[in-house]
Amino acid sequence: MPIIEVSNLTKDYKLNVRKKGLLGSIQSLIIPEYKMKRAVEKISFTIEKGDMVGFIGPNGAGKSTTVKMLTGILTPTDGEINILGMSPSKQRKKIATKIGVVFGQRTQLWWDLPVSDTFDLLKSIYRISDSAYKKNMEMFNELLGLKEFITQPVRQLSLGQRMRADIAASLVHNPDIILFDEPTIGLDVIAKEKIREFIKVVNKEKNTTMLFTTHDMMDIEKTCKRMIIIDHGTIIYDGTVNEIKEKHGKKRTIVAEFAQNINNIILPEGVEITEEADNKKHMQFNRDEVQVSEVISYLTSKYNILDLTIKEPEIESIIREIYEGGIDYDKTVSGDSEEVISEQLGVSR
Amino acid sequence: MAYRADYYAGLINTLILIFVNIAIWKAIYGEDGSYDGVQLKIVLTYIVLGFLMQSFFIMDDYFIQNKITNGLISTDLLKPISFRLLVFSYSIGASGFKIIMNLVPAIIISLLFFEFLPPFSVSMFILFILSLCLGYLVLYCLNFIVWLTAFWFYQTFSLVTIKDALIAVLSGALIPLWFMPTWLYNFIKLTPFDSIYYIPITIYLGQTPSNEIMTCLLKQVLWIVLLTVIGHFIWKAATKKLVVQGG
Amino acid sequence: MEQIKAYKKIELLKILFVFFKMNLKSMLEYKFDRFFIALAIFVREMVSIVVMFLILTRFVTIGGWTMHEMFFLYSFLFLSYSIFVFFFTGIRDFDDMVYQGTLDRYLIRPLGLMFQVVAARVDFAAILGHGTVGILLFTYSCKAVGIVWDFKSVTYYISALIGGAIIQAALFMISSCFSFWTIRTVNLRNLIFFNCRRFAGYPISFYPGLVQKLLIFVVPFAFVSYFPAQYFIRKPDLDMFWNGYLYLTPLVGAAMFVLVYIFWRAGLKRYSSAGN
Repeated sequence: MPIIEVSNLTKDYKLNVRKKGLLGSIQSLIIPEYKMKRAVEKISFTIEKGDMVGFIGPNGAGKSTTVKMLTGILTPTDGEINILGMSPSKQRKKIATKIGVVFGQRTQLWWDLPVSDTFDLLKSIYRISDSAYKKNMEMFNELLGLKEFITQPVRQLSLGQRMRADIAASLVHNPDIILFDEPTIGLDVIAKEKIREFIKVVNKEKNTTMLFTTHDMMDIEKTCKRMIIIDHGTIIYDGTVNEIKEKHGKKRTIVAEFAQNINNIILPEGVEITEEADNKKHMQFNRDEVQVSEVISYLTSKYNILDLTIKEPEIESIIREIYEGGIDYDKTVSGDSEEVISEQLGVSR
Repeated sequence: MAYRADYYAGLINTLILIFVNIAIWKAIYGEDGSYDGVQLKIVLTYIVLGFLMQSFFIMDDYFIQNKITNGLISTDLLKPISFRLLVFSYSIGASGFKIIMNLVPAIIISLLFFEFLPPFSVSMFILFILSLCLGYLVLYCLNFIVWLTAFWFYQTFSLVTIKDALIAVLSGALIPLWFMPTWLYNFIKLTPFDSIYYIPITIYLGQTPSNEIMTCLLKQVLWIVLLTVIGHFIWKAATKKLVVQGG
Repeated sequence: MEQIKAYKKIELLKILFVFFKMNLKSMLEYKFDRFFIALAIFVREMVSIVVMFLILTRFVTIGGWTMHEMFFLYSFLFLSYSIFVFFFTGIRDFDDMVYQGTLDRYLIRPLGLMFQVVAARVDFAAILGHGTVGILLFTYSCKAVGIVWDFKSVTYYISALIGGAIIQAALFMISSCFSFWTIRTVNLRNLIFFNCRRFAGYPISFYPGLVQKLLIFVVPFAFVSYFPAQYFIRKPDLDMFWNGYLYLTPLVGAAMFVLVYIFWRAGLKRYSSAGN
């Protein structure tokens, strides 16, 4: 049985319409006008226990609205959410003991106090037994190096340390599900990497179900097998990260450095130059139409090449293309892809 | 929504304050129309005028502090326009806005509902406007010095609040100075505080003898000069500190 | 699905204690800073007292009230306000919680929202600043106004202070409720609250009938200061009002709190349907 089941989830907001100009503002001062906005429209998905799922989409796509509905902060306008057999909006407090939420932009740590104080507070709020608490703290110390800064006031921590402490704070009550809202925002590469590693270990050791919203595609690539893309309140993709690369990342680029400058290079059909600088040339083609090996052997046989690299498109640019409508994703396909996903997950594990 | 509430809040606040204080002064005077030779009408006009002035003498006490906390100060200092001029024009602009949005309606309502004497004479009114502007400048120079402490302290709330309290009591904004004990009155005369509210209001009421008006205005100017000089030195020290610390 | 046990009283008390300890600790972390804030609040609040003092030095009485009597009346406002802040800082700062997203954090914890809002914050600087003014005024005036401290009067005094604190808490909570509708009322609330408080610093008999009614029935500050003070000093202007008002402070507080709590529930429901 899936741990999270969402079906036909819909959320409408009432928006205050502001009018321009002095007269307009006076008018909306006296008779406020409202407009309904649909933030989330009939989305459905299920998540199995222990899955790690990336939840991405442009700003205002409905990600955080969905996360808020999953936690019970917001009540859905329509549709259903079932988490561990409970409805978040009706059994908010009960579900709270099963869920941990990490907001990358807002800390739940007490700003002026040492990190350990917040943990003490959470221990009594969640009624964590001494033994479970001790065990968790040991794990945090080992994996997150919490010990180094646990006695320092939060305001003195670096952003990376703060984020580590925040994630630990959301985990201290051993939740079954963790929702991450932009967990690596503003962090440097090393700090990001550390956090991703930790998240993976927790997932493996505790079999915690995890859902991320993020803008950083690397987060998703490094941690999640599956991702859900949401735009304008609807799911436009639900499948594996590999699959989307497979399907839409067909372009390959060869960057070759030639021994001398070649002015009129002759290339095989389907290959074109996208960038040129000194003796370096970027050559792009579609993987389905032209074989990589063909191009390479063609080039090496004809020219004297000093250096050669092959580039796959980054997931980020694929996603951007999807948002911009460059790739028209067939929704019916994504709906059926669930079995494929679990198969692939099995293989890659 | 927020601006709307703010707008009404400012206006209603002024009116309520005037209203309460009128009630209190009426209770103080009781049935008598005058006390120690001062007529109730004079006192009420003094009080109403004091609050009307306060309604647009309010300045943004945290403008500089915010610039420092969010780090914008260093870019502002690089701009061709002098930072001090920027702060001053911001304050003037905000006051101008308050005059239109708050003061004008408040004056109209005061004239309609509160006992409010007209200026003593036309010439006194002109001198009053002049003195009012000088009073504004005295307050600005004083404020500016307090605002500059933001370069040394992370939070200036305490100092700003204490400054406001001192001004409220000593400037004669809440109680006419002539009702104060003589020793306190004499002390206040030596400070810049009476230049802010007391001098302009007494000119309006015609309570300052004509031969003393010039001295009063001169006193205001003197305070502006003195406070500006003090402010200048503190400003130099503040910018030096900023440069040393690298913003 | 296993059931989640309800919190025992002792567990809730422990959480309250931990929150309190943390507040105390963060205050001590910045002792000097907080001390100066408390000092500033003290000075700010003393302005109206000093003005009152100056007026009364000159005029001796206002409407038949002497300085001691006036200060005794005023002391109720400060003492009950600091009691209110001691217990309900969170309600005072609720707007902030909504806008900073703290509320969302509370909603994903297994505790009641009201409990967390109340437990999470204690503003020691305000308690100290207002409390000192209150205690000063009280000690200066309580002997001179001739109160006989017996069981009855002490009981009345305490219940009046607590009732006054709850009335103020309810007033703040009304404005907090509006923030569920994402209507920012801090300025409006401060305006209404602190201005009415200013009204209530003087005997309400000084004001026109309409204002008196406002302070009794709409923003019932009369029950915070005037009626409790009059219970002890019985100035003749009490004849203007029904005698029963003297005893109503705790009742008004309780009634307002219940009403506002219902409003709060409605607001919370609306918040969960519209969000922030």
